[in-house]
Amino acid sequence: MAVGRFIVTAVVFALVWEFLARAQTGSMIISGPVAIAEYLTNNSGLIVRAATETTTNAVLGFLWGNLAAMMLAVIVTLLPRSEWTISTLALLVFCIPLIASGPILRVLFGPGPGPQITLAALAVYYTTFLAFLVGLKAVSQNWTDLMGVYGRGRVATLFTVRLRASVPYLFVGLQIAAPAAFLGAMIGEFTGAERGLGVLTLRAMRGLQTDATWSLACVSAGIAMLGYGCLGALRRKFTPHAPVILFSPKRLDLGRSITIQLIGFVSVVGLVFVLWQGAMDAFGLNPFFAKRPGDIFRFLSEPAHLNTLLAALGATLAYAVPGYLAGLGLGAGLAILLMLWPPVARATMPIAIALRAVPIITTAPLLVLAFGRGFTGTVAIVAVMIFFPTLVACLQGLRQTPAQIVDLFESYGASRFQLLRSAQIPAMLPALFASARMAVPAALLAVTTAEWLATGRGIGVLMALTSSTSDYNMLWSCVVVLCLVAVVSYAFVAWCEKKVLGIYANEQLA
Amino acid sequence: MIKPVHLTRRFFLQTSAAGFAASATALPALAANLQPVTFQLSWLHSVQFGGSYIAMKNGYWSDLGLDVSLAQGGPNAPVEPPVVSGTALVGISAADYTAAAVEQGAPFKIIAVAMQRNPFAIASLSGNPVNEPADLIGKKIGMAVANTPVLQALCTLNGIDINQIEIVPTQYDPAPLVSGQVDCLLCWETDLPVAMTVQGVENTTMLMADYGYAVHSQTYIATEESLTERRDTLVSLLKGEVMGWNDYYKDTDAAAALAVEMFPDAGLDPEAQKLQAARQVPLMFSDLTAEHGFGWFTQDTVAENIETLGLLGRQVTADLWDRSVLEEVYG
Repeated sequence: MAVGRFIVTAVVFALVWEFLARAQTGSMIISGPVAIAEYLTNNSGLIVRAATETTTNAVLGFLWGNLAAMMLAVIVTLLPRSEWTISTLALLVFCIPLIASGPILRVLFGPGPGPQITLAALAVYYTTFLAFLVGLKAVSQNWTDLMGVYGRGRVATLFTVRLRASVPYLFVGLQIAAPAAFLGAMIGEFTGAERGLGVLTLRAMRGLQTDATWSLACVSAGIAMLGYGCLGALRRKFTPHAPVILFSPKRLDLGRSITIQLIGFVSVVGLVFVLWQGAMDAFGLNPFFAKRPGDIFRFLSEPAHLNTLLAALGATLAYAVPGYLAGLGLGAGLAILLMLWPPVARATMPIAIALRAVPIITTAPLLVLAFGRGFTGTVAIVAVMIFFPTLVACLQGLRQTPAQIVDLFESYGASRFQLLRSAQIPAMLPALFASARMAVPAALLAVTTAEWLATGRGIGVLMALTSSTSDYNMLWSCVVVLCLVAVVSYAFVAWCEKKVLGIYANEQLA
Repeated sequence: MIKPVHLTRRFFLQTSAAGFAASATALPALAANLQPVTFQLSWLHSVQFGGSYIAMKNGYWSDLGLDVSLAQGGPNAPVEPPVVSGTALVGISAADYTAAAVEQGAPFKIIAVAMQRNPFAIASLSGNPVNEPADLIGKKIGMAVANTPVLQALCTLNGIDINQIEIVPTQYDPAPLVSGQVDCLLCWETDLPVAMTVQGVENTTMLMADYGYAVHSQTYIATEESLTERRDTLVSLLKGEVMGWNDYYKDTDAAAALAVEMFPDAGLDPEAQKLQAARQVPLMFSDLTAEHGFGWFTQDTVAENIETLGLLGRQVTADLWDRSVLEEVYG
């Protein structure tokens, strides 16, 4: 029955798509399923070689990125005092845009797939780190107390209690990572790779080869969906137990004094500068394009440079905040919608994955066509670029509603909406806040991309100018400002999270 | 009519034959002792670099003792960093990019000029054409905002107020023009218009070089250090390059076919490559190159460049150009 309905839906979808494509023929914007199938048949060799290249790099990046994320999260769990430092460093590395990292990676690796694999890894480690950390904390205090009573330490607790509890959230991270790694590998090809789906996409778009562009997008989306689907199957296999209630008493807030916090902050800033300078020196990167902290300090001491930067920042923030909220809202809203009407999920999820796996240069023209180049269009581009992690995390969050509570609601004949409002949404909150933290740097980077694609203003344009002006001082100043904004916004989101989860999920605040 | 360039493969083999005979006897395994050199291209592989492919395929570089790797460019692969770092000996840039990089402290010299005439053009649909700068008034132009100084320079050169043109930030893609979102595009004469023609979209182009925009493009850049330390390698690299481009000039279709054949994974369209190869010829070959050879430049062309670069906000002197390598190539 389900298969029959799926086929009917797919056929209707394909027919509507074909109709739209044919209605738009003159504008060369949309290709229909027939034209795509024809292109794929005629160019199968080319596409298979490119897809193999990109997929291989994506898989390697996926493995390395997730491995790094899991190790970081384990370190944070074993040494809770390191959480702030490690989270900040992880956030900062994620904030470095491709335009700054691309040339460095290409000079370091030379020809070959090094930059593509690295960028795929960088695209996934941050979301997995945050999701996995939520999972490692999603334990009931009576379990950890029991371990304590038997004299077992943190390591034993990690292996016997926390790792098992973390599985559903780990899979959230991995499922978010599947399309992200693929996109990262594709975008990585923009740094001068010889082959792959990203290279072909660039060529097809500039060549007005609409059928090729759409075929490449379909292939990319298909591979990402396959990865997502396989990980979903693994998740269902490894999390056979229904979620249980997590008991966690209210914690006494032993807030550290302002002085201690200030010392902590200053030492992290110092550490960042030392690592920044040290890494660039260690690799012998030429200061022409790999700017050091001192270069940026001197550059921004000029009021003219600082003013240019701050004016651009203003323009960027005007879009970043609405874009961020729109992305979060879209992700969480879709997750709730899918929970209420599961059949919608089957139709929506593939589109969501496709939007995540296809480079924004392919999707942006369609969004611009639909929403214009103004405020709505820009916010739409940002929302499309960042909603996916929120959707996946919130879906899992909703699934984490304890089975006992669902039973209780059902035995009283509560409606779906009552269950949603009083049980499922509260259960979703840890995941929602994790995605709210994930979305901070993602939204900033998305806005800078949307700016050169559509609005032509802001930090994104300032950074794009580097390609023709070699103004790497300005580029790295933009990176510094983006990092600062990200850290401050992240701290604000974390503060809100603390207030809310103090009521709903104390275990996360351990 | 442009005369065929006097430099041929035979010319080089004759002039360097003595040197080769000596080194060949001293080093029997000459082929194994080729000197590795990286040559950084400015964009994805295509017939845009056809002469280099011919040099490679016909062994012009290996005959001169070089094992050249052609490093492809891309949207996030700027040419300047690898050349500054020394991972690439020579890069393909443009006079405005090079001037900016020098301003930022890069020790670059322009050692040869492939595109004598700048390839920037205004492309429009033939039904609503932009034939001359005055036609831009009241039009919507799609372009990267980063290129605003280029449009500004064109306007200044032709006495047009840029505020009368509506700039729409777009990706570098012909779709916004074809779908009617803009009236014209700022692009290269040799890429987006070629794509439109091949896809059957009738279009008109106005080459900015015809209206006073004099900026050398597809220029060869090297660092000052390379010019002193690795001079012989630079001479050999450019020699092979010149021979490749001379062959290109004789048969652009063959160059296009070679590009398609050499890069089967690049997804190159043979028809588009042919058209692009032909359209590049008037930009690269002129009376000047017919007389002096491919890549040549003079005090006069440099002076024109300095003037246009001034309009782009780049104050440069003739020191940015260094013809000494080219003079050795033809010496």
